[in-house]
Amino acid sequence: MRFKILRSDRGGANPRYESFEIRLTPGMSVLEALFAIQDEHDDSLAFRYSCRGAVCGSCAMSINREPRLACRTQVADISNARSLGLTQFKGLTREKPWDKNMEVLIEPLPNLPVERDLIVDMTRFFVAYKKIRPWLDEDEDRKSLSTMMPEEVSKVEKYANCILCAACFGACPVCEKDSAYVGPAALSWSYRFFDDVRETKRSEKLRIAGEKDGVPGCEFIYNCVKVCPKNVAPALAIRNLKNQLDSKI
Amino acid sequence: MHEFDVVVVGGGLAGLRAALEAQKTCDVALLSKVHPIRSHSGAAQGGINAALSETDSWDAHAFDTVKGSDYLADQDAVDILCREAPGRILEMDRFGILFSRTPDGKIAQRPFGGAGYPRTCYTEDRTGHNLLHGLYQQSVRAGLKVFEEWFVTRIVVTDGSVQGLIAYHMPTGEVAAFKAKSLVLATGGYGRIYAKSTNAVINTGDGTALAIRAGAPLMDMEFVQFHPTTLLGSNILISEAARGEGGQLLNADGERFMSRYAKSSMELAPRDIVARSIQTELNEGRGVGGDYVHLVLMHLGEEKIKSRLPGIREISIEFAGVDPVSKPIPVLPGQHYSMGGVAVGCDCRSELLGVYSAGESSCVSVHGANRLGGNSLLETLVFGMIAGRNASEDSKRKNTGEGLEEARKQQERRLEDVKSGHRKERVADIRTEMKRTMTDSFGIYREEKSMLAGLSKLKLLDKRQANAGIDDHGHEYNQAVVRFLELENMLLVAQTVALGAIARRESRGSHFRTDFPKRDDKEFLKHTIVRIGKGTLELSYKPVRLGRFPVKERTY
Repeated sequence: MRFKILRSDRGGANPRYESFEIRLTPGMSVLEALFAIQDEHDDSLAFRYSCRGAVCGSCAMSINREPRLACRTQVADISNARSLGLTQFKGLTREKPWDKNMEVLIEPLPNLPVERDLIVDMTRFFVAYKKIRPWLDEDEDRKSLSTMMPEEVSKVEKYANCILCAACFGACPVCEKDSAYVGPAALSWSYRFFDDVRETKRSEKLRIAGEKDGVPGCEFIYNCVKVCPKNVAPALAIRNLKNQLDSKI
Repeated sequence: MHEFDVVVVGGGLAGLRAALEAQKTCDVALLSKVHPIRSHSGAAQGGINAALSETDSWDAHAFDTVKGSDYLADQDAVDILCREAPGRILEMDRFGILFSRTPDGKIAQRPFGGAGYPRTCYTEDRTGHNLLHGLYQQSVRAGLKVFEEWFVTRIVVTDGSVQGLIAYHMPTGEVAAFKAKSLVLATGGYGRIYAKSTNAVINTGDGTALAIRAGAPLMDMEFVQFHPTTLLGSNILISEAARGEGGQLLNADGERFMSRYAKSSMELAPRDIVARSIQTELNEGRGVGGDYVHLVLMHLGEEKIKSRLPGIREISIEFAGVDPVSKPIPVLPGQHYSMGGVAVGCDCRSELLGVYSAGESSCVSVHGANRLGGNSLLETLVFGMIAGRNASEDSKRKNTGEGLEEARKQQERRLEDVKSGHRKERVADIRTEMKRTMTDSFGIYREEKSMLAGLSKLKLLDKRQANAGIDDHGHEYNQAVVRFLELENMLLVAQTVALGAIARRESRGSHFRTDFPKRDDKEFLKHTIVRIGKGTLELSYKPVRLGRFPVKERTY
């Protein structure tokens, strides 16, 4: 199988597509293919990795023009994988077409500046995440274990499954056109804490989520829901936040 | 030059907990070669042990841990681990961890291998993920300074006292000195020295190698845990929780073979025993398709699988094409945990003044020869906090930073040298051979002849590594440099494992010698210590701190 990879030097300079021929092994993931390229062809190919098991969130990239985790994408399946049906935008399409039957197209995640090859600068993503105050403000006087009904846990745990891979951020058309927008993952975390029965600063969480660069930016395009590798459904969290904000007015 | 009171190396649970503690009174920096949330703690699935119930006790938890360790754990350290556990769970509850709950709203607990009581708290089967994100979020709240994608290359010590460290900034290629009064090494395990491992690709024993090079001895390195159930192909972990919830192991004949190995505990015997049992089934030709066994969950029903083991189900579907609701999961044993590590006391202090270690990179020892499931997450929090507290006490200490700039220049020259040289041999080939050697000679079953051959091979690989080079001459995100440095670390660590394993002529916990199949308390109820003396690795031993649990034969 041929891998066509968008490579670049420092700060994304000198962008170019390079192709590598890789012998497939059974069950080979895109991440394993990238390691094979590094080991056998070119050790200068740069990409982030860690767990290789879809829990650490390091390896989100654009694979055949769809943001995915490289580790949980099987090479053998990719050419006939069902399209995620994403709403298209400039960063996702770029210019050059590729031969989908012969090649796997690998590009850095859209909407974040490229550092080198497949590595993007995550600063904007994490600044947005930190802005929404992503932590539980607990009751500091509490000296015993909390009581929480299973349904109180289950309504928020789906949002706590987010691994901060930024696939949603890279798939969001609003993140491309509005550089201030905090993006789906940050808002999803905001809702996760807002709706936790132990949270003591719910109104503050909601207020921050409702600022101009937050909930009002979402256009409910649902690309985030389609690409999320952990089925977090950020747009649903944003919808819930929006309903809360609307009911306050 | 950067300057801090305390520098923590590693952004997993132990490192974050240490940093949060030290941050209360000191100026702290946390260095990690990845963003903290990419750390391997996040991959932990099954849970975290604590005696919370009125009908359970920390004493019972301690007994299970000591027995599980095959009596090699230090009992005073185990007491601390188990006594502190409920407090750490309360803290995590306050930090917002979404523990799974009982119908009346209490923190739910599930049975785990080697435990006499269901005392494993969990968040579905994503406990590590929840703890790691929760703790990272609290570190954001506390304003912790994190230096991401910094790879530490040297600890600088003068006259037995730490001055700081030298680190390589992966995004830019800068080599910088960090002056510190104390260091906490929390860099995780060394699983990637093996071919089949559940560990993240980043688990290359860096802190362990840094410590021994700086003069801090390592302890019990030969004790390597093989998890019974890793997914066929990728060796991704399939949590013990699957068996805790009632999962069964079947061989090719459909036989529930654990009845022949651990009649009363069955699938919930400790990991060393279950892993050996599976390996024996495979070696004797009763594996499915020759090389795996079946982990069957179907009888648990779809609802229980989806609510208690959703992560396992996801992994099985995505990485093996098998939905456990309708089909058995193909599993086999694989390297999982490093019991050995930097030798530290109950206070997390190493032999070097100002150097601490906590979590998987350390060896206190609370796990002895075999760790119980659910005790590693607990260890990171309990001893991470202790390491952070004690490291911050050193902030009163004066240090001159002597030798730091010289060491920085030396490291800079060394890395330039690695980058500018052309490779005579591929780093990847040496790495592959090392992994194969470790798996073949230092795996579940060990035997002298094969181990001696394995050690010679490792020494040869070490020599070849000196001639290996890389092609990438770039400065920004030169991952070839990092993988070169990681291999250096792994080759050193692998030799410490090999030496300890060859010298320990008995079988205890995870260390099983086919040529010495019995435990030998007379000769080997002691910790293995390894250090670098006069350029070569030297072995010595240290007594186990026994306590109120008398050493007994271990049956399940």
